[in-house]
Amino acid sequence: MRVFRILFSYEWRHFRAAKGLVLLCSLLLATGLYSIYYGTTEIERQRQHLATLPELTRRNVEELQVKFPGPADAGDIGYYHTTFAVHHPDAWAALSLGLRDVNPSYVKLRLLGLHNQLYAADNTNPMKTLSGNFDLAFVLVYLLPLLIIALSFNLLSAEREEGILTLLLAQPIRPATVIGAKLAFRTALVLGLAGLLSVVGMGWAQVPLDGRVLSWLALTTLYCLFWFGVVLVVTALHRSSAVNAVALLGAWLLLVVLVPSLLNLGVAAARPVPQGIELTIKQREEIHAGWDRPKTQTMNRFFALYPQWRDTATIRERFVWRWYYAFQHLGDQAVAREAAAYATGLQQRYDLVEKLNLLSPAINAQSSLNALAGSDLPTHLAFQRSVTRYHDSLRAFYYPFLFRKVEFTHADYAREPRHTFTSTPELPTAWRGLGKLLLSVVVVYSLGLVLLTRRPVAAS
Amino acid sequence: MIQSIAQKEFVSTLRDRRFVVLSALVLALLLAATLVGRASFRTLQQERHLAQQTVNDQFRNQPARHPHRVAHYGSFAFRPKSGLSLLDSGVDSFTGSAVYLEAHQQNSVNFSQAQQSGSLIRFGEMTVAFVLQLLVPLLIIFLCFGAFTQERETGTLKLLLSQGITLRQVAWGKIRGYSQAVALVVAPALLLAAALLFTGEEFASNADLLARLALFGLSYALYFFLFVVGSVVVSARQASSRAALVTLLGLWILGGIILPKATANLGASLYPTITKAQLDAEVHEQAQHGVNGHDPQDKRAAELKAGLLKKYGVDSEEKLPVSVAGLQMAAGEEYSARVYQQHFAALNATYEKQNRLSDWAGLLNPYQAMRPLSMGLAGSDFAHYVHFQQAAEAYRYGLVQRLNHLQAGMGYGDKERRLDAHTWQELPVFSYQAPPLSWALPRLLLPVAALLLWAGGLSWLGLRLISKTTVA
Repeated sequence: MRVFRILFSYEWRHFRAAKGLVLLCSLLLATGLYSIYYGTTEIERQRQHLATLPELTRRNVEELQVKFPGPADAGDIGYYHTTFAVHHPDAWAALSLGLRDVNPSYVKLRLLGLHNQLYAADNTNPMKTLSGNFDLAFVLVYLLPLLIIALSFNLLSAEREEGILTLLLAQPIRPATVIGAKLAFRTALVLGLAGLLSVVGMGWAQVPLDGRVLSWLALTTLYCLFWFGVVLVVTALHRSSAVNAVALLGAWLLLVVLVPSLLNLGVAAARPVPQGIELTIKQREEIHAGWDRPKTQTMNRFFALYPQWRDTATIRERFVWRWYYAFQHLGDQAVAREAAAYATGLQQRYDLVEKLNLLSPAINAQSSLNALAGSDLPTHLAFQRSVTRYHDSLRAFYYPFLFRKVEFTHADYAREPRHTFTSTPELPTAWRGLGKLLLSVVVVYSLGLVLLTRRPVAAS
Repeated sequence: MIQSIAQKEFVSTLRDRRFVVLSALVLALLLAATLVGRASFRTLQQERHLAQQTVNDQFRNQPARHPHRVAHYGSFAFRPKSGLSLLDSGVDSFTGSAVYLEAHQQNSVNFSQAQQSGSLIRFGEMTVAFVLQLLVPLLIIFLCFGAFTQERETGTLKLLLSQGITLRQVAWGKIRGYSQAVALVVAPALLLAAALLFTGEEFASNADLLARLALFGLSYALYFFLFVVGSVVVSARQASSRAALVTLLGLWILGGIILPKATANLGASLYPTITKAQLDAEVHEQAQHGVNGHDPQDKRAAELKAGLLKKYGVDSEEKLPVSVAGLQMAAGEEYSARVYQQHFAALNATYEKQNRLSDWAGLLNPYQAMRPLSMGLAGSDFAHYVHFQQAAEAYRYGLVQRLNHLQAGMGYGDKERRLDAHTWQELPVFSYQAPPLSWALPRLLLPVAALLLWAGGLSWLGLRLISKTTVA
């Protein structure tokens, strides 16, 4: 144990003397701090954007109150009145932005058919989404392994190449202690860095101090340990520093870049998603055909769904709002199957990736962090479901006005249902990820230890 | 002498097992990316073509309707993939593919592939451009990092120089040898890609595509040359092979991964944009100052009606030969479209400012010069996307105004009547023509200049540096 401590402290002195490595660590620290800054400002910007939406609704209501000074036909209000369904980020999203830049964080709604409103994209710069987010999760998942590689690709080979290993092994020291001490020093350094960044990030983003703090730290630690396990395996092969560097970078390239992009192709081919566009086309066709169909036919189809309005007056007018909103809703109904297929298709893709991400701890770590932060696809789908429910409640609110011919007064605006949705973490996904990471860690360390016992450390 | 050094490097590279394995890997990836690119190109193209035809047919086969109903029924514009996008899909996966075109408002382009791919797409897409832009340089680095350091470590550099040739000549020889080896890996793959591109029946070999492809190949050749020179220079300036490799890999990570992300995010922070909801609200607010066709109480609409009565010298709306409502719709559309245009132009200008930052970074980082150039040539960059958006809007505006004028021609009491079904067959349908190379090239001057500057500067400065290095 004493030897271990001596070796450990010598590694520290070595590290301090190596300017390049200190520079590299400071660079990673700086990058990490920038990523936290970027993530928190990005989420803050999204929050600010979402905060302007009630103001837009308020202005819209004011305008309508001017336009309809007295009691109005609720049909007019439903047509001209816009309201928003908002997807508030969880505080954790600042550390792992996930898909929050690709998917819109609000949906603008009128009383019309839902599906041509539900998929509207927000203003985005595609060049920016192509480059991707620079959040803490990116630094931890993408860049930290590179630091680990830079710190340890010549773990033993440098000693051998400089001729020190012969001297070292001439001492009464077990080679395993040497490797152990070197790895332990680097692990402590990297885990210290990752922990520091995580804690700073959590403070900066003001996350609630619940169990997720531990989950995040555990995920980060296991992910780092995995990469040190890879280092152990490569070290145990006893090759030259250059070969080690190539091998480690190859592993990084394979696990962080190639497997995810190939998996993306594979999943897209294995689970073709029915194009969302088909359903919007079909819905438009249905809705606009509503104008040309006999009114009684439309109303009977509608009453089959909502028998409580069956006793309302027969429509004799050329145009009446309740008929208009009835065929809008029938347009949604006509594509209900396609809409469900679209959502389940996306979910199935996600589930398949969840199954296959054992192939790459990087994907696993990224999706676990996203799951923890509630910034992944399932959360977006949950948001869309909540938008659908909100649309249902809006219709339920307006139907009595429309079918019982109740006049819409200024006081009624305040009674309109409101929508709010805040991301919730998908803890089971994160825990499964934790389990899978643990498995990967066990596998690489076992492999490394087996290799080390089979091929003992030799000086040359 | 340069010739024989080049020959030696070329031959010894081919004998190096590591290089053979790596290049086989890169070749396989390149091939896979080409095939996958072609397959996904075909599916997407077919899907969009089919969808466009469906909506066009639906439009043509509408029943008798009032023209304003048809304007609200509207149409869709689908963005066709450009021919070369199978090599570099650029921002295509992150832009929507379809936009709904209707009266009174401009909609967003919806349904991007990124929304359907989950988090995986954030790790990068496996495309030919990805292999060429990031993996081939990595291969070059592994190939060249020992160019000088190895000679120095084995003591052969002194021997070489004792033959009476200069360091500069040695460097050129090595650069030539390595370039040949890289060409041996990349050229067949690119030729194969070109062959695949031109055998597909969907690409009638046209001059524009050919020119784009030629420039595409040429700029990648320049890009790879840059990496060969750069690696040799770094190798000459570093004390050991290990240091050279680590330096080069560090530069690759910085240029290929960190800087592009950092500049894109910095750009977005420096030039903030507004949301679609805010933009729509602002447009709505401003458009109120124009004519509102749907609001009979609108003051300006009343003025327009008074003007018409005066113009035709009649005293009531019934006697007018035109429909007041139709002309009001037309005036309202003209006004709101102009307001939308202004807002979208401002928004796109902000995006371009954001992207400019990344383009200027091309002067620091060749990857950020190559990326926009490659996308621009492939027709999958932001500028081409905006071109599509504008074409879709031009079509929308033209269609809606035609319909408004059809309505105006119906005269008083038009609301009770419908136009015959065959009217819709005479209206033009949306068909998109991607812009030619001559349109794209001026937009690519900055990346082209950056790349040329890099190649020239690096060859000149690098070789000067090499000739000044110590031999021992």
